[in-house]
Amino acid sequence: MHMADALVAPAVAGTMYVLSTGAATVSVKKVREENDPKKIPVMGVMGAFVFATQMLNFTIPGTGSSGHLCGGMMLSAMLGPYAGFLTMIGVLLVQCLLFADGGLLALGCNIWNMAFYGCFIGALLIWRPMMKKGASRVKIIAASIIGCVLTLQMGAFSVTLETLISGITELPFSVFVATMQPIHLAIGFVEGLITAAVLVFVYEARPELLWGIGESETVARKEAKLSLKNTIVVIAVLAALAGGIVSLFASAFPDGLEWSMEQVAGTAELEAEGGAYAVAEGIQEATSLLPDYAFKNSESAIGTSFSGIVGALVVVAILVGACYAFRFFKSKKSGVTAA
Amino acid sequence: MHTGVNGEVLKIENLSFSYEKKDQVLKDINLTAYSGESIGVIGANGIGKTTLMKLLVGLNTDFEGVLEVAGHPMNQKNIAHIREHIGYVFQDSDSQLFLSTIEDDVAFGPRNYGLSEEEVEKRVEEALAKVHITELRHKQTYKLSGGEKKLASIATILSMKPDIIIMDEPSIALDPRNRRNLIGILNEIDSLKIITSHDLDFILDTCERCVLLDEGRIIADGRSEKILMDKELLEAHGLELPLSAGCRYKQNIDNVQG
Amino acid sequence: MSKIEKNIRELNKLQNLQQRSHWMNDLHPLGKLLLSVIYIFITVSFGKYSLAPLIIMAIYPIFGFIIGELSIKEGLYRMRLILPLVVFVGIFNPFFDRQVMFYIGGSGGQTGIPVTEGIISMVTLMLKGFYSVLSAYILIATTSIDDICYALRILHVPKQIVIVIMLIYRYFGVMAAEADRITTAYKLRAPKQNGIHYKAWGTLVGQWLLRSMDRAEDVYESMLLRGFKGDFIMKKQKTRPIDIIYPLIWTIAFIVIRHVLIRFL
Repeated sequence: MHMADALVAPAVAGTMYVLSTGAATVSVKKVREENDPKKIPVMGVMGAFVFATQMLNFTIPGTGSSGHLCGGMMLSAMLGPYAGFLTMIGVLLVQCLLFADGGLLALGCNIWNMAFYGCFIGALLIWRPMMKKGASRVKIIAASIIGCVLTLQMGAFSVTLETLISGITELPFSVFVATMQPIHLAIGFVEGLITAAVLVFVYEARPELLWGIGESETVARKEAKLSLKNTIVVIAVLAALAGGIVSLFASAFPDGLEWSMEQVAGTAELEAEGGAYAVAEGIQEATSLLPDYAFKNSESAIGTSFSGIVGALVVVAILVGACYAFRFFKSKKSGVTAA
Repeated sequence: MHTGVNGEVLKIENLSFSYEKKDQVLKDINLTAYSGESIGVIGANGIGKTTLMKLLVGLNTDFEGVLEVAGHPMNQKNIAHIREHIGYVFQDSDSQLFLSTIEDDVAFGPRNYGLSEEEVEKRVEEALAKVHITELRHKQTYKLSGGEKKLASIATILSMKPDIIIMDEPSIALDPRNRRNLIGILNEIDSLKIITSHDLDFILDTCERCVLLDEGRIIADGRSEKILMDKELLEAHGLELPLSAGCRYKQNIDNVQG
Repeated sequence: MSKIEKNIRELNKLQNLQQRSHWMNDLHPLGKLLLSVIYIFITVSFGKYSLAPLIIMAIYPIFGFIIGELSIKEGLYRMRLILPLVVFVGIFNPFFDRQVMFYIGGSGGQTGIPVTEGIISMVTLMLKGFYSVLSAYILIATTSIDDICYALRILHVPKQIVIVIMLIYRYFGVMAAEADRITTAYKLRAPKQNGIHYKAWGTLVGQWLLRSMDRAEDVYESMLLRGFKGDFIMKKQKTRPIDIIYPLIWTIAFIVIRHVLIRFL
């Protein structure tokens, strides 16, 4: 579910960076308030642990396939939502740098899609209320499955929206959503089961390690009220911010956004015309899987010409030659001085 | 070198400790150690060796009795100060080395104590030279062998120039050559060393003094050759003669019989 | 080879590259980090039909790989994780967007091979995907995570996040090796399974989690005993003229391509 840089327009990437930074700022403040120096090393080691568990294969009973762990929900149940969120930021950044899973520009999106929902929605709105009066096997299993399914659905939906608003795909909203959501329903369910199994084990072995369980009634109520209020305020502020930034970009680049909004709404159904479509139409009929949906927007098409492309390729070819020549002469020179 | 009134670096008097009011883990420990000494702490599994070591570095201060390090009584107020005088080498080097290069890890302590970058640089060079791993300076921790990691762990402590170095099972998981190498290096370090180990041969090679613990008490405290050759004493407390001592022991019996 | 082994190998390769002595490795990490972000930002900001200027944008990865003596094969191999989603998103463009942009060949009464907007936008999307992955590879092959963390601190990223990143990076290798041992031990006793059986999910991962918590405790104590007061103090790196000139020249070049050259292609 990692977004790639290529899938996001700068405006979308920027907006999501701002949102994620907002959530991170709140989290850093909360972790600082806890004033527990041990928390940071625990976050680091647990981050590495989650990173490594993501590479394990879990056999799904009754099928030949296997599932994986994503970890946002599990981390939050161990460390609390704020420390969990900061840890997931670390995991996502290291993943993106070391293994090119995600991208530097899309990091803001990925943090939001995978860490924010899992940690804030999963832990604050699902895990915490359910564990307020103490935990049990059933409650942990239920919270894990509901949490993982729900937060993965939200994440997948965000991927769809971010990609469509970026305006790089011709894929209709309905097709995109109809593909992304069911896949992630299954993934979320399996992840929920794995998370549940691990958390139940921890609950039975060392229950004191789990976060937010059986907080004393009055404290819990006060805290829950506060945190629910806080969360809603944070989400509202962030949503307003997102709307503001998107509309700012919308006024600056009206074409792109109108185009994508129209695309999302799925209103324009334009007829294909002229013989030029014959080939493509043939392919479409042959595949016939796709709905009869064509869309053109010649206004926003800052076109490119064949000669332009050829010109660009020539420039690039010359550069390749120049770089190799540079390297060749440099190594020859250093070889001479060495000799 | 900071010492107590009578020149002792470590003074323990009537020390007792228990975890959360359960059974006492340590009972009435008395131990005084001087600079340059090398003390092996031995005993079977789970008799409180690690607990004692963690008390010495102030990871727990809820003990009864007297514990003085470098002339300072151990309490919450003194802890930060005391830790500048005492270093702890963890059993698992991967827990000790938490930064990605050796250089940064060895510099971590000195930098935290606010030394200038030149002084930090000097300390790093000295510490690496002492354990003969100067060439590993820029290497990534992840790529080191077990033996190299152990030496690097010791360097991270030496760079802080402590008066006391505590080591938890230093010889564990080392191959014979690395083990031999470590013995040589430890014998060159002149701070007070306190080494816990199940490897009694290792204790015999590195410590002239040995303390035997059992059920939270000090059973014996004396010269290593004496305690580690005492077959009856060791076996009574769940230990066995070291291999080399075993050979000597057998030789002695043969000689007597012959 | 298992996924874990592959990742460990990839980590090793990257660390070897980061340790090379090459002038690109010696550049200040802040400049390299900003340069990579600016490059990716400008690359993805091109319109979906702006293929020609986007092709010119290849100069940066080409320069980085040839002059930086990096393996293009390794760089492209890193596409595998994000490729499925990029392909899924882009592959339908030729079917949905069939407005002809130009013809290749053809003269007089004959029309050549039509190239539609959908094809152009698909190629553009793929190129953006390749460029962003390759440029990120140039960054990470010449800059260690510690150096990137140093740059993040200069950018005022909170120390809580930066220290966590450094620890994740340090302990990822340790944890991956543990994961490898655990799966190997499991496989040897359950040879017919291709993953971990659901009955073992909780105990296997749970045990490992508890062990990791204990390790975290040790790490914390080790820091504490060496004077940790809540922050990692990093060695200051000097800035030379080249550290500013190199990213600056590239940035100017990207802006020229994006805003000037685009009119001529």
